[in-house]
Formats: sequence, C-alpha cells, structure tokens
Amino acid sequence: MVQEEGSSSLSSSPLHMFSLMSLSPGLGSPFPWLREMGSEERGLCLIHLLLVCANHVAAGSIENANICLECISHLASPAGDTMQRIAAYFTEALADRILKGWPGLHKALNSTKTTSVAEEILVHKLFYEFCPFLKLSYVITNQAILEAMEGEKVVHIIDLNCFEPTQWISLLRALSARPDGPPHVRITGVHEQNEVLDQMAHRLNEEAEKLDILFQFNPIVSKLENLDVKSLCVKTGEAVAVSSVLQLHSLLAVNHEMTQMDSPYLSKSPCTLQRVLQTNPCTLGEFLEKDVINACSASPDSASSSPIYSAPSPKMTSFLYALCGLSPNLMVVTEQESNHNGFNLTDRITEALNFYAALFDCLESTMPRASIERQKIEKMLFGKEIKNIIACEGVDRTKRHEKLDKWIPRLELAGLGKVPLSYHAMLQARRLLQSSNYHGYKIKDENSCFMLCWQDQPLFSVSAWRFRQYR
Amino acid sequence: MQETMVEIENSSPLSVSPASGEAHILTVDNQIKADQSAETILQPTKKKRSLPGMPDPDAEVIALSPKTLLATNRFVCEICNKGFQRDQNLQLHRRGHNLPWKLRQRTSKDIRKRVYVCPEPTCVHHDPSRALGDLTGIKKHFCRKHGEKKYKCERCSKKYAVQSDWKAHMKTCGTREYRCDCGTLFSRRDSFITHRAFCDALAQESARSQPSVLPTSGGDMKVKLVEPPPPAASSPPPPPLTPSTGVLSPVLSIRSSAELPENHSANFPPPPPGPAALTSSIATTITTTTPAIATATATVTTSSCSTSGSNVPGNGTVFAHTFSSSASGLGQSSQEPASYSSILCAMAGSHQPAVDPMSLSLSSPFHSPSPLFSATSQSPQPHYVSRPQPALSATALLQKAAQMGATSSNPSFLRGLGLALPSPSDPQENTSTMASTSSTTPTHWSSSVKLENNSLASGLGLGLPSSGSSSLNELMMTPSTLFGNKPATLDFLGLGMGAGEASPGGFSAFLSSIGGRLNMATTASFPGVRPAGETWNDSPERKPSML
Repeated sequence: MVQEEGSSSLSSSPLHMFSLMSLSPGLGSPFPWLREMGSEERGLCLIHLLLVCANHVAAGSIENANICLECISHLASPAGDTMQRIAAYFTEALADRILKGWPGLHKALNSTKTTSVAEEILVHKLFYEFCPFLKLSYVITNQAILEAMEGEKVVHIIDLNCFEPTQWISLLRALSARPDGPPHVRITGVHEQNEVLDQMAHRLNEEAEKLDILFQFNPIVSKLENLDVKSLCVKTGEAVAVSSVLQLHSLLAVNHEMTQMDSPYLSKSPCTLQRVLQTNPCTLGEFLEKDVINACSASPDSASSSPIYSAPSPKMTSFLYALCGLSPNLMVVTEQESNHNGFNLTDRITEALNFYAALFDCLESTMPRASIERQKIEKMLFGKEIKNIIACEGVDRTKRHEKLDKWIPRLELAGLGKVPLSYHAMLQARRLLQSSNYHGYKIKDENSCFMLCWQDQPLFSVSAWRFRQYR
Repeated sequence: MQETMVEIENSSPLSVSPASGEAHILTVDNQIKADQSAETILQPTKKKRSLPGMPDPDAEVIALSPKTLLATNRFVCEICNKGFQRDQNLQLHRRGHNLPWKLRQRTSKDIRKRVYVCPEPTCVHHDPSRALGDLTGIKKHFCRKHGEKKYKCERCSKKYAVQSDWKAHMKTCGTREYRCDCGTLFSRRDSFITHRAFCDALAQESARSQPSVLPTSGGDMKVKLVEPPPPAASSPPPPPLTPSTGVLSPVLSIRSSAELPENHSANFPPPPPGPAALTSSIATTITTTTPAIATATATVTTSSCSTSGSNVPGNGTVFAHTFSSSASGLGQSSQEPASYSSILCAMAGSHQPAVDPMSLSLSSPFHSPSPLFSATSQSPQPHYVSRPQPALSATALLQKAAQMGATSSNPSFLRGLGLALPSPSDPQENTSTMASTSSTTPTHWSSSVKLENNSLASGLGLGLPSSGSSSLNELMMTPSTLFGNKPATLDFLGLGMGAGEASPGGFSAFLSSIGGRLNMATTASFPGVRPAGETWNDSPERKPSML
C-alpha cells in the first residue's frame, strides 16, 4: 500500500504559496513556517479556520469568509490526509453556499457540470464494498426479516433503494434453508435508475431459480418522494417487510423553514395526530398541511431543543401513513446517526464535521491515499452530501440526517411499534466484521436498536419496526 | 400358594428383572418380598401417551418407593442371600451355584418395556405420562433432585448427590479452566470460545496479555472442536448449520486466543489502543498461524467447507462469505491472505495457509495499515514505526481542538478573531451550541467584539512565545482525555476561554495573523509573525516527543 506522507502535499505548496503571496498585497511572507507545520497542527488549523469561515458564512460576511477560504485553500487538499480532505469538501460546500447568493453566477457555473449516472451507481457500489456499514445493515435487516417472517407463506419485501443484489440473494438463500421450505417471495425494488433495477431483476431471478423458490421481482422506477404506495402491488395476505437504508431522511425536506413558535397546539399534538390518523384516513395529507402545519407553525427543524415534538414534514407523514396502510410486519430503518437537520448552519456544520470526520477516517483506514476509488467515494458521495447539507436549503436539502432519538417518536407517531433486534442479528453482524477485513468498527446495542460505530462513535443506526394497530 | 404367587408375580411385576423375579417365584423368599412387595405400588396399566420423552405407550409404568430406588444390592441371590448391585453380577454369581438348567433360564415371555415414575409427589416425573424410561435414570434423577448432596468437590466445593456425577466432575474440575478477561470462568471449551468471541470486556482490555490457561498444544486444538451450542435459540436453521457457524467462531477464537497470550513484538507494544489491538490481533492471527493452529484449521476448514457447501446456510456464514468475498476481491491486495473467508474456503485442500509458521510476531508486511489507522485514531503516541508520520485521524483532531479550546487560554487568538468576526445574528445561539462553558461565553463574545484594533498588534507581540514551547507541548499532551470526549460539544472558537494574558504559542500566532490579515493590519504585524516562525521551526524537533 502506498502511504503518502502527509507533509508531501504541503511541501509542494509553499512555492505555490509564495507565488500567491507575492501577488496579494500586504501579505509579505507569513507562510514559511507553514512548511514546518506538522499534520496535526495543520489539522487543528483547518478545524479552526473551517469554523471561523462557517461563522462568517452564516453571518453573511462574504469578505471575511473569502479570506478564510483562501487560508484554508493553502492547507486543504483532496489528496492529502484526512483532515485536509474534509476541509477541501467543506470549503467547497461553503463556497457553493456563498455562491448561491448570486443565483445567476451559481447557475452559470453549474450548468455545464454533467453527472454520469453510471458513476453515481459505481460510487454507491464502492461505498458498499469498502465500508462495512451497508453490509452490516443488510445482514441485520435480513436477520430481522427472517425472524419476523417465520411461518409466513408469502413474503413481500419492499426495498426503498434497491441497488445491491447481494442483500437479497443472501436473504433468498436463508429463506430457502428454512425447515418448512421457502415461502413465496416477492421483492419490490424502488430505484431511480432503470438499469440498476434490470440488473437486480436479472441477478435475483437467477438466484431464485437456482434455489427453486417461487419468486417475483417488481421493479419500480421512481424517486422516493414520488412513490405511489399503491403501485407497490401489495396483495392482502402477504407478509410485508420494508427495508429502508439511508432513504427515509430525504422525505424530511420541506418547502420553507418556519421559525419556531410555541403553541398550545404543540403540546397536545401527539395525541391529536394519533386520533387523526385513525379517524381521518382520506384527507390526512391535506389535513396535516392545512391544519397542523399552519396552526402550530412549528419548525420543521426537529433538531430544536424543545422537548415537545415538532410537526413532521407532510411528505414524511403521508409516506409513513401510506406504508402503514400496508400493515407491514416489519420495517427496518437504517439511518445516519447524526443531526444534520438543524435550522442553524453552524450547528449543522459542527455536526457534519464530526460525522464526516469519522467517515473519512473509515476510508483512511481501509484504502490508500492514492486510491481513485477512495477519492470517488469522498468526492461524489460524501462531498455531495456535505454540499447538500451546507449549501442547500428548503426542498433542495434532502440530506436531512437525524439521530435515532428523533426518529423514534416520529415513527411511533405514525403507528409503528419498535421491534427489538435480536441477539442473533448482533452475532451475525459481529461475525461479518470479524471475518472481513474491517478493523475498528463496532456494533452497539442501544435499547434493542443497533448502532454501527467507528471507534465508539455511532455513525449509523438500525432499528426495526412493525405496524401496531390501534384499537 | 405358589400358583397364586405366580399369578401375582406375573400380573404385577416387581422392580427386579424377570429372571430373578422368576427365581423369587419359585423360591418363596419372604425376606425379599417383604422388602420389596410390601412397599411397591404396582401399576401395570397402560398410560396414554402425551409428552415426548415417553415414546412407548404400551410400556408398563412402575412406581417404586424411595427406599427401593435407593437400595443398593437389590439383586440378592436366593441361594446364599448375597446381594449385588447389578443383575448381571447376580447371574454370574448364580452360575457358580450349579443350578439345574430350568432354574437358570429366564422366562421367555416377551419383555415389556418398563418406565418408571419418580416417587416424589411434587416432581413432574411423578405423573405416569412423564415417566422416565430407564431405571438407572430414575434413580439418578431421584438422587439429584430430591436427594441429599453427599459428595463434594474439593477444588470448587460443588456438591453432588449422585456419585457418578461427582466423579465425572472431579475429572475435569481444575484440569482445564478457561477464564475470560471479563472474569467469567468456563469449564467447557466451547462455551468459553463462544463467549470470548463476543465478550465486550475482552475487546476493551485487549491491551493486556492474557494469563488464561489455554491449550496451546496442537493435539488439544485438533481434537476439541466440538460443536458449540447454537448462539441463539431463535436461529431457525437446524443443527446441520451449527457446525459451520459454530466452527467459524472457535477457529477465530483459537487464533485470537493463541495470539493474545504471546508477547507482542515491538511493533505492537502495550498498551496499544484497545479495540484496535484486539481487532488487529485477530487480523494478524488470520495471517500468521502456528502449525498447531494450522492443522486445526485444516480440520475445521474441511468440515466447514463441506457443511457450508452442502447446506446453503442461511445465516451469518453466507452473509459473511458473500459480503467479505466481495470485499476481498477489491483492491486490497496486501490484505488478500488476511481475508478469513477466503482462507476458509480456499484452503480446504491444503493444510497450511501460506504464512509464516510460528511467527506470532506481527511482522509489518502482514500488519496491514488498517490496525495502524484504527490505532492512531485514539492516541498520538507513536506505536507504529512503519508509518513515517503518524497522523492523527480527523476525529481525534476534532476532539483535540475541543480540548484545546477548552483548556488553553487564547486571548490573542480570540482577539484576532474577535476583531474580524462581526457579531452574528444570534450570538447566544452560536455560543450556546458551540461553547463548552456556555455561562461565560456570551460575555466573552461580546467583549471580544468590542476590542480595538490596537490590541491586535499587542496580541501578536504577546504571541511571541517565550512560553510557547511549553504551551505547545501542553497542547499536545492533552490527548489522554481525548478518548472519552464527546465530539458534540466543541469549543472551536475557544469561546469558553478566559481572557488571560498568556499566549499558547505559534499556532495561535498563526491564527492571529489571520485575524490581522482580516483586518488588513499594517505590515508591522508581520514581523511579529516571524519569531513565531521560529517557534514553528522548533516544532519539528519536538514532534517526535509529542507524537
């Protein structure tokens, strides 16, 4: 493995810096000592600079933000050590945010950027390969589905982001090994790209034939927020399991952020909403939009420190409600365990720094610095998420990650009850970690939900739910 | 009289075997019958079958009194009244009496299966439908459950009512003991191994070398790969699955357990950071094995591959195989031999993974950077020589920044930044989320905003570190508390700091210089920077000590 010295990127830059410095007035030569800065000091510098810059951006002082960004640019690099890379992507996001202040400029710069669909798909696959989080989530999901579907004859699985065939292949194998024979399996996969679903269909059908399982794959090409639950073709009598891996948070995007206002409506809204769900099935979406959201004007920022529950986004509520209409036996939700949905930009940046620092560390520990795949993951996956968190607002900001303790009341309100994840699932997951090359990862059990951690920092949460009927 | 006796005997068999029963029929032996028949309750009725454990509904249910059950020497020779514990022994003895042929043979009537009930009324086996099929079994059951525990193990003072139990225990007590680091003691190897694989305490304490008694001899390891009990009762796959699943963990633990007692080489000195050490030791055990382990592996691999091949196991092995094989397939060339599943499945034929034998030292070619990376994330101390510049991970840096902001006083930094930063729209909000000492921050924030330009230069002047070196060292010495810090509350801007006069050194001087540039301060500030540059020059020399 090639191990580049952290300082190598820096040693090349002083010359560059000198030339820069000579251009800008009044700056003299303040940077010779930058050369001797160790990676640690540089990292600390970067952190401080990033937050100073974030404050400037949040406050709207572009000039100062600009200067900060320039300082950071001398230290950051997408090919350097972890902190340098993080800084590079964060500054790009901050710059993007600033640029949005000039919409014309922003559009002009972004109009010629092409995103290759194939690259995006590839990047997701790379993330799946090199970080164990998705694999762990799949293992846990599969085990939970296996346990929930014991004794069922017809199993219908709905995958809200169906892109990795291995997940369902393992489940098919597990189901075929059941003592009383495999059930009839239907998998409905939702994805935005047709090619991915075709590939899935091919692999899964092949596997089902090998295992001699009655199998049917329904592809649905759709964005999650536009998903029509009726199109999922769930028949009565089927045992439904829903798998949502890092998807649900995008439904939290709302049109406009409202300022938080205290309202008496808020304090009793949990109960009212519950009753509403029962009594008013048809017009729930409209009801919510009109009455609850407007009446209580609660901030969709569920990261508020108010202990009172805040109104959920209408998209989320209607989606969850529709899902509950299918009476799923099981719904396994994997989400990022970090609060990137704060109303406050600096809050989001702070949280994002911690979260992505851990993720970048994960990559650093498994892939060499020169690896192109690693750069791709960092740039096209993490970089994009960071940009979305920092630079976008409103409906555009789809990466609204939230911690599990915010998800739990939301899901419970929608009529789901928590299903504890079994010890067996934990064993499976730990076995996976031990048998593969993943070092430094941990799985913790918190109130029977699993936290996938990197070195004690929880990064992803996996929890299982089932539809709980009210009387 | 005899006939009636015969009838009685035939219709209501005694607890003794038919042969001796026959003998008793013929030789009216009041002593024996007084012993046994007087107290026996004879139930020749057939009971309906209800629960598993009673396979034969036609069996005769026999209820014996406790005295009869516990009686030793129940088989008595009618000729000389010598008592025997076993019927066979009695028969052998009777041969010596030269009995005529008729008396010697057993009756040829078909032997009915007999089941026995426990005489203790509160016992669940008192019910004929839950009778036990074996006389010895019911005797032992009665002793164990309802009897007095007369036998005691000296080593562990465990008490037993049945002597055979006690003897069996004495054979193993203290001979092989497995102690996990969390303190749990195991006498069974399989339960020990399963426990070790998932013991959290073990993961945390992997730094210490293990004093547990582990069989390192090859013979033991080869033999004892019994199937461990399935980890969770809820696993749907039936026993055929457990060999493969169970086998994975013992082998892993064999390797790790054999690994850990060894003293680590210099590359991996104690105390390495906790979980990283364990995982890296597991990683290295995957790559480096002892010949004994290798042979054990070979036996394991053959069995596991065969079972996993045939069963299409639905749980973890498949998941592990499918997921990890894909992982090992991608670009991690130096870690190819370390892929556990690939070793398992590929090495079915060969008996030695192609690695260094007996070298449990963690040689750096095998010691992939992954443990390095995971280790460095927790402490900046230089454990890993192979890496030229042990860089801190980003998470550690963030924690350190929080520490730094909390502990050191950075007035020049603060002033430099305070001048530049306009009061944000909601200072309270910012500081409350970002400062660790929220009570004092608003004042600092507002005070810093009010500071004059002139203080910048003075701040820079102060930034010349006479105390720079010490504070820089101090800066670097805070890592000990890093690990426990929650990164959520970070005092990045150092807002929680007191407005002391001492400057922590070159780092802050850099930031002050930024503050200076932000204000377009005069070049007079920059000469102040150069001495700070000297500070920075010192830092490389200090680096080895810090790192």
